[in-house]
Amino acid sequence: MNFGENKREGNKRTTMKTLMNGMARWLWGSFLLIPALLLVCVGTGAASEKKPFLDTIKSVDAPFDSRSVQQVQPVPQPTVVAKEEYQGGQFRVLARKEQIERHKCSNCHGEKEVKGKNAFTLTHGNVVVQHGREGSELACIDCHHPQDRDALEDKKGRKIDFDHSYQLCGQCHFRQKRDWLGGAHGKRVSYWAGERIIFNCTTCHDPHAPRFAKRFPATYSVPLN
Amino acid sequence: MSLQDNEKEMEKDKENKNTNEILADALADKSSRRSFIKNLSIGAAAASATLVTGCVPGADAAVSGEMRLRWQEFFKKNYRLMTEEEKEQTVSRLERLAALKDGLELQIGSEPPLPKVLYGYAFNITRCEGFMECVTACIKENNLDRKTHTQYIRIFEMEPGQLDPSTGDGKYFHEVPVENKFYMGTQCFHCENAPCTKACPTKATWREPDGIVVVDYDWCIGCRYCQAACPYFGRRFNWGKAEIPKEEITTKQHYLGNRLRPMGKMEKCTFCIQRTRKGRLPACVEACPTGSRVFGNLLDPDSEIRYVLKHKKVFRMKEELGTEPKFWYFID
Repeated sequence: MNFGENKREGNKRTTMKTLMNGMARWLWGSFLLIPALLLVCVGTGAASEKKPFLDTIKSVDAPFDSRSVQQVQPVPQPTVVAKEEYQGGQFRVLARKEQIERHKCSNCHGEKEVKGKNAFTLTHGNVVVQHGREGSELACIDCHHPQDRDALEDKKGRKIDFDHSYQLCGQCHFRQKRDWLGGAHGKRVSYWAGERIIFNCTTCHDPHAPRFAKRFPATYSVPLN
Repeated sequence: MSLQDNEKEMEKDKENKNTNEILADALADKSSRRSFIKNLSIGAAAASATLVTGCVPGADAAVSGEMRLRWQEFFKKNYRLMTEEEKEQTVSRLERLAALKDGLELQIGSEPPLPKVLYGYAFNITRCEGFMECVTACIKENNLDRKTHTQYIRIFEMEPGQLDPSTGDGKYFHEVPVENKFYMGTQCFHCENAPCTKACPTKATWREPDGIVVVDYDWCIGCRYCQAACPYFGRRFNWGKAEIPKEEITTKQHYLGNRLRPMGKMEKCTFCIQRTRKGRLPACVEACPTGSRVFGNLLDPDSEIRYVLKHKKVFRMKEELGTEPKFWYFID
């Protein structure tokens, strides 16, 4: 019995000893480890302080010639060189005049008398102006030139071509025009590369009712999984 | 006479040399495990064909041709390990297979990334009105399955003040836009530090040098680890081969893009790699009726996308994860 107890005690002692030994070793080890860990920490700290992705992108200022992309084809729609500057210089916009059904307007709006059977459409009875604050919508001559019907006129009395209507729209919608010139409003035609050709204001917006009409979406989604 | 003799001898020498070279090549070419299995399996296939049909395979030229193409396809490399020549070969094999099996005339490309180009995308949450033209254009362009209604793009109808699409309604179907709601689109964001590419056990998905994260559909084993790794729900798994009316199939394809995927593969938005590498806009950008989508080269200081990043208030989804998506949301 005694023998057994002693043995047990002895076991306890030995385990204590090994534990102490282990502790000492661990302590020594940790003394060595701490500076090593510190070094590692400093290292990772330095790594995490690298430039954010957005900043690295913004720091790229070498010019890129997007006309160097070979496969870009000319766009099928008629275009005109814009009369304004873009950050990269000259650009083109989609032409408008060809889209206007009865252009030129001076065919009717002239000296000679017009005798028409379809008086309703020929006098633009189909045009309902929904442009401007409700109840005080714009009148025709707010945009159209009062004398020369083949042109538009801005508030300063400048004659404006139908193809360059952004000059007219921009006098009220200057924020949109600024974004449009830069590329945050509107869109490019078909290609991200090649010469910059962008949609005109009137390509998307009906100048008589510029707000997009409410409608059903083109499709719907089913839940994932 | 002597001259002619000389010439003849030279020719003989040449022939000898050629045969010697071929022999040397054959000897030097250690039969690898792969080629051994290849030969073995071709032998097995031939044997089984003789058993089934009772005649030597090759009697029906068309079938054997298709068989050969399929075997060659089966033992091709990962796209990233292929040489330009091998890429062209696999692409032409795929075209021929499509012609043989389904009678489709496809133009599959393997255009490399353009130099000095890093694609970036911006989405205007003020302008989007939820018409979902982008979604239909994407389905059409990328040959998505019509049966399961797979879509790479999702549009969420959002309450004002919320910026997390998971709080929005992704299943709306009513007249849009609704007053006092805004719309937010999601898709694959093509992260610079993409977690999905790290999860793939077969290295079947990676980031291309122009920033597009792509999938090699023939090396994908369909384990869906990448889907689990993506924090943006940007990836889609196909449970079957896409069912598309034949006349609606987009025939201009890219190996890493909109080609017809086999069954059980992971697929996702590739920024329409088949278009963008030719300078065109992605289908969604071209289809958007509101101009909410801006696409361009991040390394071009004069590009529209750079203008947006410089002059607009932009944010990205789950930026804190450090995945660095190349897809920014912005407001007017």
